[in-house]
Amino acid sequence: MTFMLRGKFALLLKVVIVSLVSAILLMLTQSAFAQQEYVISGFLALTVLAIALTYLTKISIPLKFFIPGILLLIAFVIGPILYTVTMSGFNYKTGNIISKQEAIVQIKARAIQAAPSGESFDIKLGKLNGQPAILVSDIANLKYFVSTADSRIPVDARDVTLDPNGVAITAPNFTALTDTQMGNADTSYSNIHFKYLDKTFIALEGFDAGVVSEQALEYLPAQDEFKSLIDGAVYKDNGRGNYAQPDNKAAILEPGWRAPIWFENYTKIISDPRVRGPLVRVFIWTVVFASLTVLTTFALGLLLALALNKPIHGRRIYRSILVLPYAMPSVMSILIWGGMFNTEFGAINTLLGTHIAWFSDPNFARVAVILVNLWLGFPYFYLISSGSLQAIPSELLEAAAIDGANPRQIFRKITLPLLLQILSPLLIASFAFNFNNFNLIYLLTGGGPRNELDGQIAGATDILISYTYKIAFGAGTQDLGLASAISLIIFVLVASISLYGLRKSKVLDTFA
Amino acid sequence: MKKWLMHDSWRHIIAVGVCLFSLFPLYLVVISSFASSGSLQLTSFVPHEISFKNYHLLFNNPAIPYLTWVKNSLIIAGSVSVLSVMIGSASAFAFSRLAFKGRKTGIQLLLLVQMFPAILAISAVYVIMERVGGFAPAIGLGTKPGLLLVYLGGAMGVNIWLLKGFVDSIPAELDEAAKIDGASEVQTYWLIFVPLAAPVLAVVSLLSFIGTFNEFILARLFLVDMNNRTVAVGLQQFIGGQYSQNWGPFAAGSILASIPIVIIFLSLQKYIVSGLTAGSVKG
Repeated sequence: MTFMLRGKFALLLKVVIVSLVSAILLMLTQSAFAQQEYVISGFLALTVLAIALTYLTKISIPLKFFIPGILLLIAFVIGPILYTVTMSGFNYKTGNIISKQEAIVQIKARAIQAAPSGESFDIKLGKLNGQPAILVSDIANLKYFVSTADSRIPVDARDVTLDPNGVAITAPNFTALTDTQMGNADTSYSNIHFKYLDKTFIALEGFDAGVVSEQALEYLPAQDEFKSLIDGAVYKDNGRGNYAQPDNKAAILEPGWRAPIWFENYTKIISDPRVRGPLVRVFIWTVVFASLTVLTTFALGLLLALALNKPIHGRRIYRSILVLPYAMPSVMSILIWGGMFNTEFGAINTLLGTHIAWFSDPNFARVAVILVNLWLGFPYFYLISSGSLQAIPSELLEAAAIDGANPRQIFRKITLPLLLQILSPLLIASFAFNFNNFNLIYLLTGGGPRNELDGQIAGATDILISYTYKIAFGAGTQDLGLASAISLIIFVLVASISLYGLRKSKVLDTFA
Repeated sequence: MKKWLMHDSWRHIIAVGVCLFSLFPLYLVVISSFASSGSLQLTSFVPHEISFKNYHLLFNNPAIPYLTWVKNSLIIAGSVSVLSVMIGSASAFAFSRLAFKGRKTGIQLLLLVQMFPAILAISAVYVIMERVGGFAPAIGLGTKPGLLLVYLGGAMGVNIWLLKGFVDSIPAELDEAAKIDGASEVQTYWLIFVPLAAPVLAVVSLLSFIGTFNEFILARLFLVDMNNRTVAVGLQQFIGGQYSQNWGPFAAGSILASIPIVIIFLSLQKYIVSGLTAGSVKG
């Protein structure tokens, strides 16, 4: 083993590994750059530089240990966090997802309407001198012409061949598309404005018909505004990710783009009752849920620990059975419980002889959530409570007994206070964990019963994190900006709780 | 009645009661997996029949690539557990044993970063991996290596913390002696620290294995293709689709997938509890 760490062989091995890793990363850097992913490409280039500098020079010894971990952490944890922080300053939501350039292109594409003349023609897709072209048949007037993006060439009626419906299918220099070509031509042809008259063009409607259309909006790059070619209305950049009429704020063009709105997502949380109302109610339930979970799991765990604190018969068997809920993969346990609470065939209703629609009633759903979490969580507190009970010096309990305290008094005055002192950091950690217990809510009730709190998104059992997830990725309007702002607030809350717990944990050190 | 039973009866009553509570869902899954009806119904406590239909279905129905799911889970969780501990232990060793500027700030920063609710950074991770897939399809969205990278990044914070706690508890005398004998830091790490810490590293990697095996949201978002899914995602989708019909195979699949995890867990109980008291909670 030593020869791999010292001498020429070790050096060679190191150089080979570092070169290999650098080569792979450089290849990725290059292809990222080619795809215009400049941020990723830049990060990869820095990665190569950092790896080479760290392992081939003696710049810093601790870095040799840190580099792989740090790079992964930056790429997949810190990077995404910074992205989230940035997004919280934008109006990044459904309707404002794309960039401004993309939005301008799309607005132009959407601002096409049928010309007042209402004409439409039968057409045939094809190519003229290699350019996409259409052969247009004005059957009523027996007129034919070939049209491309920039020219319209009339074709004499004698030069075309007609199909039984009177639609021209061949013309000089015009090659019609084959069926397979048609299949691939869908988007490329439908985006082309085939020349008609001065201000009008033919837009495709399917593969066989074209409608004489006109552009309703014109983009003026110099002023950065859209002008209606019909009524002359002007739409300016409203600074909030949309083009809007200056005197009519509601008249906006779709789609918008993601624009910086700075702290508006945060102020909205405080000032907009439609956001604040459900959020406050979800927050209250989150705190209640996390507190009740900690309380119930700790109480049951402690009760068991006390009951089994004496070497009674079958203690080992009890212990093995009691940790089973904790040992099971939680995703599966939660799904199983979900099935057990089913109204029609669920085992809970069968057992109780009831017919309760557990997940349709807010209060029953909440009881179910707490009960399932009790099942999942009590073994943890049983294990750590029984460990801590042994840590309490027996002299204390004996002294109390000699002084005439009964078992209840000993428990209330000595055991419990000491236990709480030892376990308080873990109780706080458990609170912080359950505060963000996404899997339980998501897999058990999905936050439902649906819409219970605000008629839109928030359900009766939604906790902050599942509610935020729904805001960001839900079925309706997705507001990533607002969701990011709320996640940062959750972050601050959880971080404060955890830091408080961590500071408390020094108590543990002094006690041990 | 025997005297010990009288005296300790309250203890037995509580223990038996809670044991029943613990076992009830598990018992239900077991009898459902052997029932042919395919629902999670409690018809009676004693099963009428023992049918292997559901188990048979898992392995022979081409629409349910159960073995592929298990394989995927094992590959992903296995790689994460080994790699994350390898990378994490190096960082933990440096935090615990090496003196350098900004060490304390580094630890605090790590702790802070770890508190960010990971689920909410999902959209960012998704966008990043989507873009990576644009130029490197082999590690982009929808691939196992891509998910592996994301898991490794996410596991760093927790693992470094957990491992640092363990490393602190290993006496430093040995590596100080090695240092006096002229060993470099890298040599100390490989020749002294790793052999000493091997049992601890094994425990942490098994914990990491369980954690990854249990992960659901990222796996679901990333691995859309039926043959790329992990067991957790595959089985969930399975009952999500046609609700009451597929409980039988779901129960059978859950049991088979849970057995190794439960065995690992029970054999590691002692370490897990001490790891938990170091300040982490299993999900």
